[in-house]
Amino acid sequence: MNADTKPRFLSTDRRVREDKRFVAGSGRFVQDLDRPGMLHVALVAAQHPAAKIVKIDASEALAMEGVHYVIDGAELSAAVNPLMNGLDTPNVRRFPLAVGQNRYAGEWIAAVVADTRALAEDAAERVKVEVERLGFLTDAEKALDPESTPVHPEHGSNLLLDRTFDWGPVEDDFARSDETLKLRVTWGRNSTVPIETFGVICEWNPWDEVLDVWASIQMPKYADQIARALKLPGNAVRVHYDVDVGGSYGVKRGIKQTVLAGYLCRKLGRPVRLIEDRLENMRSGDAHGPERIFDIEVAFDRDGTVNAMKMRALDNAGAYAGRAPFQLGKPIGAIVGPYRINSVQYRAMSVTTNKAVQEAVRGFGQSPTNYAIETMMDRVAAHLGMDRLEFRQKNLIRSEEFPYLIPSGSTYDSGDYHAVIDKVLATADYAELQAERDRLRAEGLCAGIGIAACLEPSGGNSAFEPLLNEKNRTSTWMEGCRVNVDALGEVTVAIHTTSSGQGHETLAATVVGEVLQMDPDRIRVVRPDSLSSLPGNSPVGSRMAIMLGGAAANAARELIRQAVAIGAHLSRADPAACRYEDGTVVTPDGTVTWDEIVDVAHRRFHDLPPGTNPGLTANFIQQVPTGTALPKDGKVQMYPCYSFEFHLVLLAFDPVLAKPEIRRYVIGHDCGTVINPHIVKGMTLGGIAHGLGAALLEEFAYDGEGQLMTQSFLDYLMPSSHEMPEVEIVKHETPSPLTEFGQKGSGESGYLGAPAAISGAIHDAVSQWGIHLNKLPIRMSAISDAIAAAEENA
Amino acid sequence: MKMELSGTATVNATPQDLWDGLNDPAVLTKCIPGCKEMTATGPDEYDVKMQLKVAAVGGSFDGKVKLFDKDEPRTCRITVSGGGSLGTGEGTAQFTIAPAADGTSELSYEGEGEIGGLVAGVGQRVLKSVAKHLTKQFFTALRKHFAEENATA
Repeated sequence: MNADTKPRFLSTDRRVREDKRFVAGSGRFVQDLDRPGMLHVALVAAQHPAAKIVKIDASEALAMEGVHYVIDGAELSAAVNPLMNGLDTPNVRRFPLAVGQNRYAGEWIAAVVADTRALAEDAAERVKVEVERLGFLTDAEKALDPESTPVHPEHGSNLLLDRTFDWGPVEDDFARSDETLKLRVTWGRNSTVPIETFGVICEWNPWDEVLDVWASIQMPKYADQIARALKLPGNAVRVHYDVDVGGSYGVKRGIKQTVLAGYLCRKLGRPVRLIEDRLENMRSGDAHGPERIFDIEVAFDRDGTVNAMKMRALDNAGAYAGRAPFQLGKPIGAIVGPYRINSVQYRAMSVTTNKAVQEAVRGFGQSPTNYAIETMMDRVAAHLGMDRLEFRQKNLIRSEEFPYLIPSGSTYDSGDYHAVIDKVLATADYAELQAERDRLRAEGLCAGIGIAACLEPSGGNSAFEPLLNEKNRTSTWMEGCRVNVDALGEVTVAIHTTSSGQGHETLAATVVGEVLQMDPDRIRVVRPDSLSSLPGNSPVGSRMAIMLGGAAANAARELIRQAVAIGAHLSRADPAACRYEDGTVVTPDGTVTWDEIVDVAHRRFHDLPPGTNPGLTANFIQQVPTGTALPKDGKVQMYPCYSFEFHLVLLAFDPVLAKPEIRRYVIGHDCGTVINPHIVKGMTLGGIAHGLGAALLEEFAYDGEGQLMTQSFLDYLMPSSHEMPEVEIVKHETPSPLTEFGQKGSGESGYLGAPAAISGAIHDAVSQWGIHLNKLPIRMSAISDAIAAAEENA
Repeated sequence: MKMELSGTATVNATPQDLWDGLNDPAVLTKCIPGCKEMTATGPDEYDVKMQLKVAAVGGSFDGKVKLFDKDEPRTCRITVSGGGSLGTGEGTAQFTIAPAADGTSELSYEGEGEIGGLVAGVGQRVLKSVAKHLTKQFFTALRKHFAEENATA
């Protein structure tokens, strides 16, 4: 974008086009689809955390009218390939149904197919599973013990990953620093829990030999993985992207569900639908998020300069590997947060335990890491007796230092952290906020202010894959877009993914409208199926504004090049002397209209420039800016763009009841050029709500017997409108030099700093007792118990 | 999850009658809430089929019951183990019968068990009160049984 032209549609107050159908209740979700002759699946769940499957007796279930089939892991595993592992751990084999033994309570042991879901559920209750209990473990630190019961005996231990990276002169920096400090914080196992559980319909077309798939999916290379697991050619799986997805935030990966339904539909010759109920989703949809213990040692000088950090992150992956260990890799791209820290040692450890399988969650491990770093910053400031804010401001990277190379090999593109913080402090009236806190304290309440400064790496590539798995040679994570002008002159943009609330139709129309200088409302956006699509990697890693935005802009630019060539040829002018403006081509002698160009392109071959093919159409496949090389010496450029957010929160609670109530929430947010402000705002608010849940409420808690205690909304507490405060968003735009319009990602905004800020506010509120609550979520009971204990010991 | 249960109840039967009742599958089938069928598989061993509703979940439970350490008509121990769509359970309890006033008996029980599966995860908040409620139902049914016995006698 030319810096001196004001955008017409970008960053303007335009409606999100998807909202209309959602608000009207006219979305088209998997549940809304009906295929003729469709059968339904219910699952038989394991009762114990680990048990050998001795015998499965399905005779009673099969005798019920309307029940078509019962399948177990033995049959399925003989017919399909194991599901993909991220790491090189070939002996951690995973199938959609347990094979030989189950490895967590709730794991799917068998699937029942019947005429209706209700019937399938009733029949599932009659499937008798005879088991012999096996040893189990749920604790990550116990899993480190080589003598611990292995979840996968064939793998030899519970250790999936143990990698130590040394970036910079860590030991020297520790030796030269005035002081060091150690801390341990734990991020509890939570996740995103979309209202719509995962659902999929599979239908085998024997005449075309194609598997049609409709799924509520958010998964890179989904079709490829299904084809590989089902031993089908890649072009025999057709994923329909025109299905609405009722929320995902990372977890809708659906591979095991789809492989199961895909196998069943071929076996039975009927379409098969599997939609998880809430319990299946919560305990066995394999969609729990990171669960991580951080041990940190930090070296700093008495003047408040942080010099070096050693961080060990121990992650509890659950019963199978999947992509979970990679969530330890992504934060490497922002391992020092927004701070100048000269050297870092990072030890990433991932272990298997008898808990449900972990999946990608918003931020892919970044929010836990940000929480650890920000807690560290608070502790060091307290230790030095420095103001938390001044201490941060002292260590933040300054705007003139960008592009800024961090020790682990990523370069931050741009930012002005101090400016964002100043704006937030001004908006919130920081002095008045502190006075308000003190007034609340004088009333006898516990009141505290929390602050968090953090980054959102965006434009997702998958550089953590080759970094953590040397056999993986991935250095592109492209996204494609097609822009076509039909014979009547109208523009259609094709995007090649499902969306789960990110507003990609609005994004693509806005960007193409901006480039073509055409009202985005005139532009149609379609989603072809996967066999008609360009390569892409779906909306993960906060990437689509950058990647789909880039692909759409570049495809539109190519269209302009074609139009200008046609206009120039018609006017016998040099294309270099012509330009595109408002849908016309301006030549030295006048203008050629859009209709004329379309007419030439679609009907008048004789008027086309020599060597030009008919039609007006352009494909563009966008490579991720930067990050094109494989890792070297344990360093890599992770994501290209870095959004910044600064949270300032005031909360208060009664010291006995200890239920935190947020009194003020101000967030400063800089994601570069904003494409649609409503989408960015929605992401930020949703992210803060999600972060509030992670900080105070949400946890997949297992008891001592390996049973999940929080598998419904009765026990797994989600933030509601009662807990969610009004949020003031302070905007700032530092464009990225790497992207089409200066845009950065915002798909994880809010979530990446809210847990750290809220935890910080609680600590400020209980600072008089010097209490540390080192594990999220910080439940109200934990706060009141800690205060009571402190009072007793006082 | 682990669970403990204990209590006492007065039953309008002599210790011997109560003892006989508690060793009679027909009586137990009638009195145990949700019990559909109880089949003797050996001396003091039974297969039991139940259909129960706990909190938001309902379903089946098929188990094995074994009586041992019997000291007629004073005390015995009982183990229950099994599972079904509702979840799994295993536990051991001790029953003690003591004569009480007016030809009645006092039955005290003390047991502990482990509950797993669906009911543990979904019903855990209410499991203890449900267990108490079911126990109450059992004794109500047992008293009714003996009231009918006494009436016909």
